[in-house]
Amino acid sequence: MKRTVCTILAIAIASLGSGCVNLERSRDLGNPNVSGRTLALQVCSSCHGVDGNSTSPGFPKLAGQQQDYLIAQLKFFRDHNRSDPAGSEYMWGISRKLTDEQIKGLATYFSQQKDAPNVAGDRATAAAGKAIFENGIPDKGVAACAGCHGASGLGNGTFPRLAGQHADYMIKQLHVLSETNQRPAGAMMKPLVHGLTSSDLRAVTTYLQGISPT
Amino acid sequence: MKVREILGTLAALAVLGVWSSPSYAIPAFARQTGQNCLACHAGGQFPELTPYGRLFKLTGYTMGSRTIPLSGMAVIDYTDVRNTKDSLGVKDTGTFPKQKQALFDFGSIFLAGKITDNLGLFAQATYAHYDHQKEDTGEWVGHMSPDNTELRYADRFISPDRDLIIGAFANNNPSMQDVWNSTPAWGYPYVEPAFVLGAAGPMLDLAQNSVGAGVYAYWNQSLYGEFSLYRTANGPYSFLHPGDNSGIARIKDGAPYWRLAYTRAFGAHNLMVGTSGMVAKIHEGSDTAVSDNSLPTDRYRDIGVDAQYQYLLDPHTVTAHISYLHENVKWGDQAAVGADNASDTVKQLKIKGAYVYQAKYGASLSYNQISGSTDAGLYATPDLLAGDPEEVAGNLSGSPNATYWIPEVFWTPVQYLRVGAQYWHYTKFNGAGSNYNGFGRSASANDTLFVYVWGAY
Repeated sequence: MKRTVCTILAIAIASLGSGCVNLERSRDLGNPNVSGRTLALQVCSSCHGVDGNSTSPGFPKLAGQQQDYLIAQLKFFRDHNRSDPAGSEYMWGISRKLTDEQIKGLATYFSQQKDAPNVAGDRATAAAGKAIFENGIPDKGVAACAGCHGASGLGNGTFPRLAGQHADYMIKQLHVLSETNQRPAGAMMKPLVHGLTSSDLRAVTTYLQGISPT
Repeated sequence: MKVREILGTLAALAVLGVWSSPSYAIPAFARQTGQNCLACHAGGQFPELTPYGRLFKLTGYTMGSRTIPLSGMAVIDYTDVRNTKDSLGVKDTGTFPKQKQALFDFGSIFLAGKITDNLGLFAQATYAHYDHQKEDTGEWVGHMSPDNTELRYADRFISPDRDLIIGAFANNNPSMQDVWNSTPAWGYPYVEPAFVLGAAGPMLDLAQNSVGAGVYAYWNQSLYGEFSLYRTANGPYSFLHPGDNSGIARIKDGAPYWRLAYTRAFGAHNLMVGTSGMVAKIHEGSDTAVSDNSLPTDRYRDIGVDAQYQYLLDPHTVTAHISYLHENVKWGDQAAVGADNASDTVKQLKIKGAYVYQAKYGASLSYNQISGSTDAGLYATPDLLAGDPEEVAGNLSGSPNATYWIPEVFWTPVQYLRVGAQYWHYTKFNGAGSNYNGFGRSASANDTLFVYVWGAY
């Protein structure tokens, strides 16, 4: 018993003495030498999943997300240009010391992961959502989402991929975009989302969540 | 001092909250990660951990970047026991001191955080403002004591194909290492009244009495296993034990503690089912005398099963815990202990559910049941007279059985502050719902309103 305690203390002291840097498996968010990939695996995976396919709809799926979008969002978090509650509560701290290089590495890692199928919702709801996504609602001034996010919802550059994303996460963000100024870069979404009812939001996000990976 | 007297003294100390060890997580960790408390605490309901909070702990408190590793906290509370009078109608201020007063009860300082990429520390010292009373004047004396303390080493081997966390820890409270809030060190209630008459419970309590080390592994966020050994926190480890060594549990050899758990996440839901246990042989008597090591040992065998469920999706937080602990104590020298039975059992069932809205407004309900073997020698108080100082705590039946509910509401206006109110309602106490002490006192006479303000920074 005494030996066990001594062994642990010896390991601790040895770690302290050896400079204690383990670049391959570090969770140090303040060390610019830790690669984005390592941080993705050691830290980000805790909420977003090791392959970017988060389990909880409280955290967005990042697998297969547009690299430019991920880079932009991480910089927004780091520079406090995105202040929706989940963003500030979780991501400001995580991103506060990330270098541009690390951000690029993180974005590269997650954009290259394969999107896993999400739970398909009610068919009728999804069909209604598909119509909104592809055609918009001209009478309400709602443009077709596909115009920017791509016919299959895969996104383009800083327009995020929506295909396979958690419906609950998208609904939350659509409310943020339409009702607040917490995501200035998404200001163009405000007039577009205003015309959507709660059932429209549910429909379009149900459709998007159920899009199978390509 | 006879073993039975020691047991009685320890029980009295426990009742007075001297050994209560409130321990919580801390803003130093939040500063280390830069995140809000609710990232790690379910609905901000510290100390209940979220899945991310569990991984933060299991990876050795090493996520984030080093910062000033200091935090502090304080609790101001108010206690009101329903009936503080004995059968003669006289207020029992010995058993129920400090009633109906808002008091600074206790405060802690923490030294905690990332040390290296693999090593982290959580060390707490707690100042109890009403630690004990002077023998001659009865004046209350405050005292600072070591509280939960842990050094943890962890590594994580993770790739898209696998995730293995391995680690080792050393701490001074069996189950402090746990991350599911359904084992003793971090279980509900997270804060509780000190100036009350507490119900009986499991007899094995090695918190701050022991020091141990263990190893663990967590595979694919699915299977968790842990094994550790504990010994008496004396000698070079005395700094982890409050006060001197009088009354410390003197453990023979190493006492093994184990933990197995299966976890699964689906959508916003998280589930854990697990088991834990400990076997300890503890010498009768205290270790103030060298000869104590020659005294017989009592063998404690605690085996528990537990489960946790969490639903976390803003703005809703739902958590539920259930735990069942079976304790068997085989007395080494039954006559010296004063027990009627060669061995005794205590079974503890705890069920708790909580809901928090917007990480601000919360309510919970806890059900607690203690049932154990009747042992008049151990529990009964046959020689009491009306008006005796121990009268309200008397036990007519020789049974430790108790049943009580704790509804609680709380409000977290800012992440560093929680205000809450609990109402402890007893339907059974010392083995009976009514006349449990032989002087007509009912279990519900011990019902308690407890209001607290809990701040940490």
